[in-house]
Amino acid sequence: MLRQKYEDVIAQTSVRIMVPFVQLYALYVLAHGHYSPGGGFQGGVILAAALVLIFLVYGYDDALDRLSLGTAGRLCSIGVLIYAGIGFICLLLGGNFLDYSRLVSILHVAPPKARSLGILGIETGVALTVMAAMYSIIMDVANSETNNNKGDTAADENQTGEICSSGK
Amino acid sequence: MKSFFLAVDIFLCLMVFLCLYRVVFGPTLGDRIVATGAIGTKTLTILVIIGFLYGRVEMFLDISLSYALLNFIGTLAASKYFEAKREI
Repeated sequence: MLRQKYEDVIAQTSVRIMVPFVQLYALYVLAHGHYSPGGGFQGGVILAAALVLIFLVYGYDDALDRLSLGTAGRLCSIGVLIYAGIGFICLLLGGNFLDYSRLVSILHVAPPKARSLGILGIETGVALTVMAAMYSIIMDVANSETNNNKGDTAADENQTGEICSSGK
Repeated sequence: MKSFFLAVDIFLCLMVFLCLYRVVFGPTLGDRIVATGAIGTKTLTILVIIGFLYGRVEMFLDISLSYALLNFIGTLAASKYFEAKREI
């Protein structure tokens, strides 16, 4: 039921127009996390919300065409790699784990700027991981619903009668 | 000016309970979905007014934008679900 396409002109048009702006807003929340509420997790959740909008309106298969579950899993791992990688780069440069001020010797900027860029880097990793994880969870939930129904449709129809059969 | 906005805020908070009554006891599912959307819209306005009272409108504007987005997704999911069930 949730996997099907939502055949409605208003919903499809509004979602098609909204999705780029939602993603832009997510990037704003991600990058502006120092000065306003937001940051990596919130930006990732809003990015995932854009994907959920596509999934709700254009259906399960179309959403998988845009971002497959394998790619989502890889993005999830890449986000953790970015986070831990920046931490270990700081460790290799002689500081503590995630000691951003050591990044000065790579980035060639002033220490406060280097700290800001380091935090932005790990926030990007967190956002990627959160987006991919949320997307995978929602797609798996939608997939398990139809798989369960496929197993015993006869028992389902006996129990709930007309409501279920008219839904199909 | 601030006391006026505080009064508006408290009034909107009371209005939320009227919508909540419609969500809980609403005779049809359409009533419930629309009342949930109305609660979301009121919450958005309340947030912006609280931001004005605290003197940090730009911060609360971000929160209310996210809230509007999640409210839209919720309404869309509910309407898709109930359209597929066809028993409103």
